[in-house]
Amino acid sequence: MLTWLVLLPVLAVLVVMVLPRRRPELVLPLGTVLSLLPLALAVYLFTVFEPVAGYQFVDRAIWYEPWGISWYLGVDGVSLPLLLLTTLLVPISLAASGSITTRRKEFVVYTLLLEAGTLGVFLALDLFMFFVFFEVVLVPMYFIIGIWGSERRRYAAIKFFLFTAFGSALMLAAIIGLSVLHGEQTGVVSFALDDLMNLDLSPTLAGWLFVAFGLAFAIKVPVFPFHTWLPDAHVEAPTAGSVLLAGVLLKMGTYGLMRFNLSLFPQTSVDWVPVLAVLSVIGIIYGATVAIVQPNLKKLIAYTSVSHLGFIVLGTFALTSGGLQGAVIQNVNHGLSTGALFLLVGMIYDRRHTKMIDDFGGLQKVMPIYAGFFLFMIFASIGLPGLNGFVGEFLVLMGSYTSLPVYTIIAAFGVVLAAIYFLWAYERVFTGVPDKEENRVLADLTPVEIGVLAPLVVLVLVLGLYPKILLDKIEPSTEAILDRIEATTDYQVPAPGRLEDVFIAGGEE
Amino acid sequence: MSPLLAQAGLETPVVSWLGVAPELVLGVGAALVLLIEVQWHPSARVLAWFTGGVVALAGVFALVLHRYLDAGEGIETVLPFSGMIALDGFGVFARYVLLTVTALGVLGAWRMIDGLGTRAAEMLALVLLATSGFSLMAVSTHLMLTFLGLEVGSISLYVLAGFSRQRSESDEAAIKYFLLGAFASAVFVYGVALVFAGTGQFNLLEVGNYLGGVVLFEPGVILVGLALVIVGLAFKVTAAPFHSWAPDVYQGAPAGIVGFMAAVAKVGGFAALLRVLVTAFPSMIAEWAPLVGAISALSMVLGSVLAIVQDDIRRLLAYSGVAHAGFILTGVVSGAAGTGDVWFYLAVYTIQLVASFAVVAAVSGASTARSALADYSGLAQRQPFLAATFTVILLGMGGIPLTSGFVAKFGVFTEAWSAGFEWLVVVAAVTSVVAFFIYLRVILVMYMEDAPETEVAAPLSTRWVLGLVVAATIVFGLFPGPLLDLAGNALPV
Repeated sequence: MLTWLVLLPVLAVLVVMVLPRRRPELVLPLGTVLSLLPLALAVYLFTVFEPVAGYQFVDRAIWYEPWGISWYLGVDGVSLPLLLLTTLLVPISLAASGSITTRRKEFVVYTLLLEAGTLGVFLALDLFMFFVFFEVVLVPMYFIIGIWGSERRRYAAIKFFLFTAFGSALMLAAIIGLSVLHGEQTGVVSFALDDLMNLDLSPTLAGWLFVAFGLAFAIKVPVFPFHTWLPDAHVEAPTAGSVLLAGVLLKMGTYGLMRFNLSLFPQTSVDWVPVLAVLSVIGIIYGATVAIVQPNLKKLIAYTSVSHLGFIVLGTFALTSGGLQGAVIQNVNHGLSTGALFLLVGMIYDRRHTKMIDDFGGLQKVMPIYAGFFLFMIFASIGLPGLNGFVGEFLVLMGSYTSLPVYTIIAAFGVVLAAIYFLWAYERVFTGVPDKEENRVLADLTPVEIGVLAPLVVLVLVLGLYPKILLDKIEPSTEAILDRIEATTDYQVPAPGRLEDVFIAGGEE
Repeated sequence: MSPLLAQAGLETPVVSWLGVAPELVLGVGAALVLLIEVQWHPSARVLAWFTGGVVALAGVFALVLHRYLDAGEGIETVLPFSGMIALDGFGVFARYVLLTVTALGVLGAWRMIDGLGTRAAEMLALVLLATSGFSLMAVSTHLMLTFLGLEVGSISLYVLAGFSRQRSESDEAAIKYFLLGAFASAVFVYGVALVFAGTGQFNLLEVGNYLGGVVLFEPGVILVGLALVIVGLAFKVTAAPFHSWAPDVYQGAPAGIVGFMAAVAKVGGFAALLRVLVTAFPSMIAEWAPLVGAISALSMVLGSVLAIVQDDIRRLLAYSGVAHAGFILTGVVSGAAGTGDVWFYLAVYTIQLVASFAVVAAVSGASTARSALADYSGLAQRQPFLAATFTVILLGMGGIPLTSGFVAKFGVFTEAWSAGFEWLVVVAAVTSVVAFFIYLRVILVMYMEDAPETEVAAPLSTRWVLGLVVAATIVFGLFPGPLLDLAGNALPV
């Protein structure tokens, strides 16, 4: 069944490709409708997913026996939310791409290929296959930025590609190293994650391999100081590209850290907690500070990603129940709210052809609906209680406070800074009187645009008010990760870092 | 062996015409092409079809030989022609690759051959001779015969490089190629002489037996000989620092045929290198593996870095070929274990090389020397088919997953890691990112820059070459199993 999840976008590509060249106006609607199929399948998987640890709906077939490589897909509580997020954001970004007028067919093809690759990344349990998907995703994104981006698109596209490819090159070497080692230790070559988890690694080797994997993911996330490709790529990419980049592609990094670094190298992960905690706290504060002073709205949102993803990495390496669960759910939250913000910036750019904050002012009076959506998504992103961002950030901060109190206190300032950069930007763009002539004639959102944003608004509310719907499915898997770390290392999750502690303390359940 | 001679205690050398049938067919075919031209003056197309037939017939013999070997007739222990020719999976696979490359090369040069008139026979005969020479090199287990094959192939290529006589660049390419090539051949022969001085043998198996059976107190002569043999062959496969001829030759030689020239020389050179190292010197792997590793690392780094600054697509492909030689050599350091992976790499890379020069010939013209990167601006709008297929081929050469190039790189890197060359794998992985950049630049020019007014024609023959190679690149990227198995059986005797 999971194979179908990867294949559906590919089949959709084939359908789109045979569409006659004379009917370019059909391409986007058709692509959007076809991309609802993977979403439907993902929602179905979500409903039948059992809230237990371990991989479900496993598909496994041998790909090339002598090399020990298999087509091995499975889903657990960590990847399930990301599948939903990916399959949701693709139809939304396609539907919101009406402003793309040139080479539409290619655009839809690349977007769908991107979806197939990303779903593969989140599903693959064979490291070879994982690498294949991880790398293949770069190609459609390279074209999306390079062909439909703004002025400096070529520079941004190449920078994006080379940064991430460099990280993954070292990961490839590490994957080869792991499988060769497995061959030496057991006599069987294998790339399956569950096989490689049981290797007997020397601390030095584990350290190098951890760095190789960690670097690939840290560049992808991006963790400070590997973030420099991100503002360029985000600013130059077309709206759909930014949405998918922020919403989905960055999550490949945070997902990879949790899935591979924590499982393959538990001891090294524990040893490296201070380093990653420092880097993520720097990222949180630095991203937020730089965001405050950005004159470019899109770049501002790009830097907020650096800050928000810092929370996710901090939660991951807090190694507590709250931290891990918060990290997983924050993946989704960030995808929803930042995705929506990029959509909103794209909508105003289509009307006004500028992204500079100074060019706007007083839009609230001209475009009240637009301003309403914008403010709502800002609040979701800042973490207003009742909206999804609050749940994620609260869990992360609560979870990491038990194990990393000092870092957490510093990181909490990121939330304050978020209020500053967003509300200040809102003030400059939306409040006051519309003093510029061009701004007075802007049309408010069309029904299509409202329709594109509506699902995101609903989900922000649902996850903000009733996060249990997701957390119940996430929890067994994140607990399993912690169980394994406790079982294989000397590390003990400090009280009250485990779920049972919290429940006992709260006297519930 | 006749009973009479056996009674007399004499042994006649075993003769196996089947063992050399592909080379014979190619050599005789080359002569026939010239004779037919003299006798009947057929059109260039007829001659090209005839050449295709010769290649196909050689392929049929290779196939028969393959069946014969699979049936296990026990011939692997007795080598025909006084042990000069190997009957093994290695030779069979080498011929498959060489003949495929030749067929694609002729097809890719179709339009050029068509325009040559009476000189077409000359070119086709040289193509067949070159293939037979490198094929002989790949099946030879005797260093003198290896040299003979090397020279037959190389001399044909020198002439092909200077084929556009009216153009000074072509002359320059031929002279440069000839001088440096002859020098490299001399180095190779000197190495052979030193190996003979040290072991008293020319036969690779005998050298291997000798070295496996004795403890050498002063291996100096043999080591120097081996090093010179490696250097001579490194020249042929354009490994750094012996690559300096490649950019000029690739640029000056007629574009229609450069892909073929580059590809067959690489296949022949690597086949001979593998045979020498795996069959004759397995006992000295600790000595030669570091040398090969160093050449590999230097080739990868130098090739990728220098390719970045090229503004001419042929020079770019030449330097990226240097990098590829380095990538392939990462598989060589593991000795016998890596043979299959090296063959897989050669098979997928050489056809991509031929196809990419077919694009160059279509865009820049088959016989000009100019092929600036700027000519490819906006090719996606002018010739979507060429641009799309070229993109897939470039991604394949870059080693993006889901293409055969990734499987190939993955295979050789794994072998290098298993052989204890972890540092080489790290260098290879990092330089492969630099190599991405080279190909991305070309893709960027084709897809993201505005098109000039000039028209580009894509002849049907070029379309065929590109279609076939793209299909192979994707199919062997998704399902490499059968080809990997075939290459995995390509072990030398």
